Amino acid sequence: MAQHKVNYLQDAGLPVALTTVDKLVQWGRSNSLWALTYGLACCAIEMMASGASRYDFDRFGTIFRASPRQADLMVVAGTLTKKHAEFIKRLYDQMTEPKWVISMGSCANTGGMFNTYATVQGVDRVIPVDIYLPGCAPRPETLQYAVMMLQKQIRRESAFQKLKPKRLV
Amino acid sequence: MQTPNRLKPFYENLVFEKDDNRMIVNFGPQHPSAHGQLRLILELDGEQVVKAVPDVGYLHRGIEKMAENMIYNEFLPTTDRMDYIAASSNNYGFALAVERLLGIEDKIPRRAEIIRVMLLELNRIISHLFWLATHALDVGAMSIFLYCFREREFAMDLMEDYCGARLTHSSIRIGGVPLDLPKGWLEDLEKFIDKLPENIADYEGLLDKNRIWLMRLEQVGMLSKEDALNWGCSGPTLRGSGVAWDIRKEEPYSIYDELDFDVPVTDSCDSYGRYKLYMQEMRESAKILRQLIPMYKESSPEIVANVPEYISAPKEQLMTENFALMQHFVLVTQGMRPPVGEVYVATESPKGELGFYINSQGDPYPYRLKIRAPSFWHTSVLQEMLVGTYLADVVTIIGNLNIVFGEIDR
Amino acid sequence: MRAYQDRKNLQKKAYYSDRFFKAPPVPRKDVSTDEIFANDLKHLKSLVKIKDSYIELDQLVVIIEPKDICKVMLSLKQELEYDFLSELSATDFLAKSNQFEIFYQLLSMSKRKRLRVKYMISQDQAIDSIMHIFKSADWAEREMFDMFGIVANNHTYLKRLLMPEDWVGYPLLKSYPLEGDEAAKWYEVDKIFGKEYRDIIGPEMRDSATINIKDTKNFARVKHEVPYGEKYSGKPTDFGNYQEDGGVPLISKFKKENSKELNSRK
Repeated sequence: MAQHKVNYLQDAGLPVALTTVDKLVQWGRSNSLWALTYGLACCAIEMMASGASRYDFDRFGTIFRASPRQADLMVVAGTLTKKHAEFIKRLYDQMTEPKWVISMGSCANTGGMFNTYATVQGVDRVIPVDIYLPGCAPRPETLQYAVMMLQKQIRRESAFQKLKPKRLV
Repeated sequence: MQTPNRLKPFYENLVFEKDDNRMIVNFGPQHPSAHGQLRLILELDGEQVVKAVPDVGYLHRGIEKMAENMIYNEFLPTTDRMDYIAASSNNYGFALAVERLLGIEDKIPRRAEIIRVMLLELNRIISHLFWLATHALDVGAMSIFLYCFREREFAMDLMEDYCGARLTHSSIRIGGVPLDLPKGWLEDLEKFIDKLPENIADYEGLLDKNRIWLMRLEQVGMLSKEDALNWGCSGPTLRGSGVAWDIRKEEPYSIYDELDFDVPVTDSCDSYGRYKLYMQEMRESAKILRQLIPMYKESSPEIVANVPEYISAPKEQLMTENFALMQHFVLVTQGMRPPVGEVYVATESPKGELGFYINSQGDPYPYRLKIRAPSFWHTSVLQEMLVGTYLADVVTIIGNLNIVFGEIDR
Repeated sequence: MRAYQDRKNLQKKAYYSDRFFKAPPVPRKDVSTDEIFANDLKHLKSLVKIKDSYIELDQLVVIIEPKDICKVMLSLKQELEYDFLSELSATDFLAKSNQFEIFYQLLSMSKRKRLRVKYMISQDQAIDSIMHIFKSADWAEREMFDMFGIVANNHTYLKRLLMPEDWVGYPLLKSYPLEGDEAAKWYEVDKIFGKEYRDIIGPEMRDSATINIKDTKNFARVKHEVPYGEKYSGKPTDFGNYQEDGGVPLISKFKKENSKELNSRK
């Protein structure tokens, strides 16, 4: 994974004093995360299965939206290839703030078993990631666990962060 | 290519308006109904497609080059990730190719063959259910998606009970299968196949005579017989155009020549015919599974071929005998050295003819491995098949062709 | 002195080779043992010069000259009923004999037979496209061009298929490393951010087995997590719990006592 010049310690880690407005806004945001359908490879099938009847995603308030303008969570499920890297950055930029990224599966985390010329070794070389989810392919329940972790993290943040939007560079 | 700079970071829409009222639309690599990462550049005249250029390669991971650097056994889990919907069929194609190269095809024990065919047919059902789910979702019948996934979950439970993984199985090894069926698996399988025909009848009842489904699928995606053969289509796409070719029947491998099943063929070359084929194939797979259950019960319990030169011994021998462990060590660290030569083996995967070409020079690593993926050849047909259709039909046709991008791009 | 690196073949080689071990060849049979193949071969021999032919694993293999490929393919399709092109690709033998080997895998459905046509070309030679005979060769030849750099004459649209259009290098050559050369390593960084960001983003992490316990930016110890970049304290955390301890308003509270462990699935 790359070492970027991101100043993560800005807010995270230290207990931030949250006002009621903060808590209300973040409660709303965390319980209605709309996910962007970004299924690239095999993990997309597990993402679809987690949205289907047995492991329902709608109970988290999550709906899969196809347009990046309407989504605030991007679940990168599958291998990112060098040909595609340009487009994931473009789609990430098109998403509106606040936005979060879950990198699902080994291929998205670090390039996975594909240690080859055409695979980006980790989606975080190109976009900043909030939650890394290991597995090949991770079970649908694991994806939902990751979403729950993200919800917890969102509730800990302050709502109106003076955002410098989250960019790697 | 437009190079981005600080002033104009990226260009937005790819719409060029020329004088002739034609529009070029990019059906981009991220699209809800693109079935993966298909980029189609369509030139539209009003609503009709005049020219279609598929742009693939967004999932090219270099699997063939990886094979030249890995030993045969090590490469097997990588084959899972090609047609990731029915993973065991890729494993089986590769294992069969290597076994034919080694010349041990007739030494595979009977129980291993039976388990392999069970897994293959179960994967066929899983793949066809997935096809129906996504195709119906694209066309608009969204509830079928949830119903099919519910069935699929039961089938994936069976796979998970067997090999531990829902999606990427690597459940078939060179020389046999790694595990015997767990206790109670056959009863669960019977329950599953008892329920399956009713569910298929449910879906057919919802879709068969549905006016909207008929309007969207009949006469859409016409593929004549000569075109289908010329473009290299296989599997249900070819059988939907009137050519009765199923590798399981014509060039039988494993124990398919002992099983009694039919292969549905139709000569209405449109999407509706292919839809009916998929539904019938699911029933035939259930029939095959039913025949396999008594055959399993009468087979003797070996599951790995006894060829110590190329294949490691089964676990019970490995853990108790010294020579078996030594040979296993050599085979795992160095890899087995197959004979020098080439082999091309085609099997009938749920998508079509999946072929593996292996050129071996005696090294533990294949010198050249080429994978003949059915979806690759089906996607090239899109160049011709989409001309003259409406934009809404493009989605139907792509869904109907049953393409999966892990295979196309490898 | 640096170790000798065979520039022509950079792929992995077996670390141990027994000097006296020679791998046996796959058994080959003479063409006259199979009637259908013998007739087909006779027909082909009357058309072009056949350099070699044999039956390997129930498939006929015919080796011809590169210039005769169109004639052979046309005859196979129209007269000998081999109307299905299964596969078309190349093998890189540059390290051994400075040649590529192109193979075409054909299938005859009516006769239930498979046939392979092969020929060798040198590195800069171009081949004739058979697009006008088998339309499926269109993409197969594009992929061959993409991966090996072999040009097909008379192809209507010979552009890169699987790699991006501005990719440099032909990936499946043996002299191309698995992890990609210099251009491949920085392709996405150069494309998206620009060359200046190579140092900021850093090189790719290709060794997947490195573990650094003290690195809290890339690794996290389960149940003892610390914020990104700080030192490990060893204090157990409840980071992995499903819900915060106080519960969330309007969401049902997760009580560990009420959760049940299932013994079997439904």
